[in-house]
Amino acid sequence: MNILDIEDLSVVFTTDTGDVPAVGGVSLRVRPGETLALVGESGSGKSTVALAAMGLLPGNARASGRVTVDGTEIVGAGEAELAGLRGRTASMVFQEPASALDPLTRIGRQIAEVVRNHRPLSRAEAAREAVELLRKVGIPEPERRASAFPFQLSGGQRQRVVIAMAIANSPSLLIADEPTTALDVTVQAEILDLLRGLAADSGTGVLLVTHNMGVVADFADRVAVMLRGDVVETGSVEEVLLRPTHEYTRRLLAAVPRLKVDGEGGVPVGATGSVTGAGEASAPVAAEAPAPGDGQATAPVAAEAPAPGEKPVADDEEAAGPPVVHLRDVAVRFGRGPGAVRALDGVSLDVRPGETVGLVGESGSGKSTAARVALGLVPTNSGSVSLFGTDLGRARGRARRALLSGVGVVLQDPVASLDARMSVAECVAEPLRTHRRGMPAAERRERVAEALELVRLPRELARRGPRELSGGQRQRVSLARALVLRPRLLVADEPTSALDVSVQRTVLEVIAELQDELGFACLFVSHDLAVVQEFAQRVVVMRAGRVEEQGPTMSTLLHPETEYTRRLIAAVPVPDPVAQRRRRAADRTGATA
Amino acid sequence: MDTLLYLTRRVLQALAVILIVTIVVFCLLHALPGGPARGILGPQATAGQIAAFNHEQGLDRPLPVQYAYYLGTLVHGDLGTSYTLNEAVSRLIEQRLPKTLVLTVLSALVGLLLAIPLGMWQAVRRNKPADYVITTLSFVAYSTPVYFLGLVLVLLFTQTLRWFPSQAPQGDTLAQVFADPAALVLPVVTGAASMIAVFSRYMRAATLENLSEDYVRTARAGGARQGAILFRHVFRNSLTPVVAMLGYYVPVLFGGALVVEQLFNYPGMGLLFWSAAQSSDYPVLLGCVLVISVATVVGTLLADVVQRIVDPRVKAGRA
Amino acid sequence: MTAVLHTTVVAEPVAGYRLSLRRFARNKLAVAGLAVVVLFLLFCFVGPLLYSTDQTHTDLTQVNLAPGGAHLLGTDAVGHDELGRLMYGGKISLLVGLASGLLATVIGTLWGAVAGYAGGWVDAVMMRVVDAGIAIPALFILLVVSAITSPGALGLIVILGLVSWLVPSRLVRAETLTLKNRDYVLTLRATGGTHGRAILRHILPNSVSTIVVAATFQVADAILLVAYVSYLGLGVQPPSTDWGGMLSAGLTAAYSGRWWLIVPPGLAIILVVCAFNAIGDGLRDAFDVRGRG
Repeated sequence: MNILDIEDLSVVFTTDTGDVPAVGGVSLRVRPGETLALVGESGSGKSTVALAAMGLLPGNARASGRVTVDGTEIVGAGEAELAGLRGRTASMVFQEPASALDPLTRIGRQIAEVVRNHRPLSRAEAAREAVELLRKVGIPEPERRASAFPFQLSGGQRQRVVIAMAIANSPSLLIADEPTTALDVTVQAEILDLLRGLAADSGTGVLLVTHNMGVVADFADRVAVMLRGDVVETGSVEEVLLRPTHEYTRRLLAAVPRLKVDGEGGVPVGATGSVTGAGEASAPVAAEAPAPGDGQATAPVAAEAPAPGEKPVADDEEAAGPPVVHLRDVAVRFGRGPGAVRALDGVSLDVRPGETVGLVGESGSGKSTAARVALGLVPTNSGSVSLFGTDLGRARGRARRALLSGVGVVLQDPVASLDARMSVAECVAEPLRTHRRGMPAAERRERVAEALELVRLPRELARRGPRELSGGQRQRVSLARALVLRPRLLVADEPTSALDVSVQRTVLEVIAELQDELGFACLFVSHDLAVVQEFAQRVVVMRAGRVEEQGPTMSTLLHPETEYTRRLIAAVPVPDPVAQRRRRAADRTGATA
Repeated sequence: MDTLLYLTRRVLQALAVILIVTIVVFCLLHALPGGPARGILGPQATAGQIAAFNHEQGLDRPLPVQYAYYLGTLVHGDLGTSYTLNEAVSRLIEQRLPKTLVLTVLSALVGLLLAIPLGMWQAVRRNKPADYVITTLSFVAYSTPVYFLGLVLVLLFTQTLRWFPSQAPQGDTLAQVFADPAALVLPVVTGAASMIAVFSRYMRAATLENLSEDYVRTARAGGARQGAILFRHVFRNSLTPVVAMLGYYVPVLFGGALVVEQLFNYPGMGLLFWSAAQSSDYPVLLGCVLVISVATVVGTLLADVVQRIVDPRVKAGRA
Repeated sequence: MTAVLHTTVVAEPVAGYRLSLRRFARNKLAVAGLAVVVLFLLFCFVGPLLYSTDQTHTDLTQVNLAPGGAHLLGTDAVGHDELGRLMYGGKISLLVGLASGLLATVIGTLWGAVAGYAGGWVDAVMMRVVDAGIAIPALFILLVVSAITSPGALGLIVILGLVSWLVPSRLVRAETLTLKNRDYVLTLRATGGTHGRAILRHILPNSVSTIVVAATFQVADAILLVAYVSYLGLGVQPPSTDWGGMLSAGLTAAYSGRWWLIVPPGLAIILVVCAFNAIGDGLRDAFDVRGRG
């Protein structure tokens, strides 16, 4: 019998602007002991399905159809009946460990509460059980940690606590909604290992909701792909990821950036089918998706193709002029006194004209701070920062503004990057208004229209407001604004992290082509090693405010010199179940060796 | 951040605020007709007496020097002498302040004890008739001038129903005040009304915000029932921001006491202030302002410290 | 740092202001509040044109008449027609309330925006001043200043404005603090934009909803404060009056059963203040602005 049975589930949300259908007639089943991954892009309705299965839909949602968990009907069930089921038969792990726990209640108590919700244990017995559960999910010193408050734990540890709550009563169904999305890759790998182990030990059925194909390959037995509220393809993980039949699944997989890794010959290389010539100082981004139905999409097609990073970096003598960005021994401290945080510590890096430097690292590594130092947004405590050969720290007033007019900026958040009170045209025209004050309005309009065309947006968009655009369109408007003055340097801080993979692919392609055309240098900050590998000629790996190592992308990411970089790379799951299984095995033997 | 460091910084901030308050009061004192000399010598003093006094006290010296002198007298607890009552202002306040504190603390307690459950209940019954009714009532309670409300209550409960006396308890000692609890009812209720209105709104908003937090969903996913979620988690999380607002409410409470004491003829600091305003007894007026401001600063400080104890996140300097 | 959120970025189909307007229109209390304010403005400013009465001269032949006949709401102790007086006093109450509320909002906005944008020690000093101002109860300082100067309507507006800008300054500062770290402001600064442009083009326009909400509450509080000052005998002086003054004058009459001298001004104050609070509440929900429960 299926532990979860969803039959023709539809969900409609009532909002300010009318009814919005989120899920339309979805049918799924999860058998005991198996993991079903529900994948899709944002707005596909995958999380709504997960919440519906727990009876946790928000008040403005109406569900119809049938959802049965271990034989109990969920749709239309009373709150009391659902409370008896939740946390005992079916449990859930959420995306955001930062907010998933009550901030004022000690974690041991929160776990004990779930235990006591369903079993007649005394407070002391439940507390003992909570400690055991903490031990089981791998929290060190569980007796002591049980009395910690959530804010005293790291993100990964908090997610372990949420998992401990979920498995407290040995449920038969575990629903995990993007359980690792808010976490760093190394922590993600640990959490996935934990979940896999727990599910295997207890025979629990798992419904894993995720957008990350690597996580799917790493964890799932079967996959269901959702598109706009419908399941378009279901099958085993090998079938769906290696031999997708639906058009959409193929496009989705083609858009996923794939990390090329060193190792046994069979390691798949991603969709970099056609690569921009290595002679140009541009980052190659797959211009074409692999041919539809090409079962060999993951074969090492491009292994021999000259990958960009392998291109020997131009000799220093050959590089035209001074580096566009030059950080020397930069230190940044936040706060004062004993509580001060060393955000950057002796960081040195260069970006030469026309080249792309990828700045990678996990959260808290200081990569964004380093980019902001280069932009003059964060004051340094020591060290020097130069832009285009001029010391940024000494430039004042008009000179400083003139210096900064050679820089374009794209930041992560598509919503916060554009002022919603301005039209697209005003947003893009802003650098012109700051640096070309005398420019006639007609010429400005023309320059704005050109910039929009440059980023492949129709001119007509100029009159619209940012609110009317999609996330990908907004990021391209940001790019148009960054490029309207034809800068010599583009600083892009996680420009595609908030976007779906297919949209990310488009935006990255636009940046790469324009770099080809306009020849600007790029400082590209990203947490995503695969994206950086495709995009940058050189890579700087940061860790805890220091530069861990730097060098040409291909050699650094294929043959890392430091243990940390090696671990970082090993933790990235590749979207190929076969390869990922092999990597995991290799990693485990490597770790024990 | 470590507690000692926090406390030191917070106390220093409070001292800075008190310093600014003394500057404001000092400026007002100098804006008075006749200046501070008249404040001490009284309204009958002649111009000659004032000039002599000014010279003697250094009041013809530059303002910053005078301010330093003024601070010196404050440190010694000297707030000047009342024009009309012929007594040291500090002594007058000493007599009256405890009574006002009794009134304000009782009003605050009654207000909070009613407002918090009301606000939570409203949040749970959001956009249902009960919520609308209480919302409308709290708007009315907030918008009614305290003296009008007091008047209506007196007309209703004293003149018509004859349940409570229209005068607050008289007498100089606290024992005398507490000897007649029935007489305290109307003043306390009148003082509490707008507090109930304001804090039930705060509590409603805080509860609603917490009900939509992720941790509530986690608790529900663990099989917790609505009541358990509300009382074990949401209540405490909602209470902390409300407690933080309490400090800022101290001046409003004193403002209310001013009117309530006048209305019910309760011999506290408010009544002292009111009669001083009628007779232009400036030393008393400014002395009261100073004392109440210091009380407010101390109140906010205490509210912050309490919040730090209740909310472990604040202790870590995160919230 | 850069948490990678798989957030849904769906474009809102309706422009911001129109959506807010629609949300406001659906809030029954707020719409009723708006209607009440409009009616009272008409009553006080257009009413005297239709219902003309003498509010400057006393008429001792017509004192303390009960409602009915020629005087719909009766007359007061010196023979003024009570309905006419309600319009006459309301003019002052509304004018002083609106003007001082707006003045306080303007002062508070400038103070808060400068403090928030400048940050550092400038912010620290400016906010300690605000703390000090909040610590001194407005009613007390008002009484002191009124006692010193015995102000007219204009003076009252200035004094009220000067004592009640503190709350809006805190709200605007908080808003400025978030806005100055918005990505679009960072982008502007990182590419050589000036502080002036950041404040004028981005921070102030985006604070408009917060400021409007604050101003609405400010007006409500100012009308109440005027009523207190007049009640304590320190407001505008006779023969001029406002609703608070009318209440104060009718106080003793209420004990002898002449309810028509206190109920109309009392209800007028409650209704108008309620109305502004309801509008503020509705605007806050419509704009999704935080602050003041």
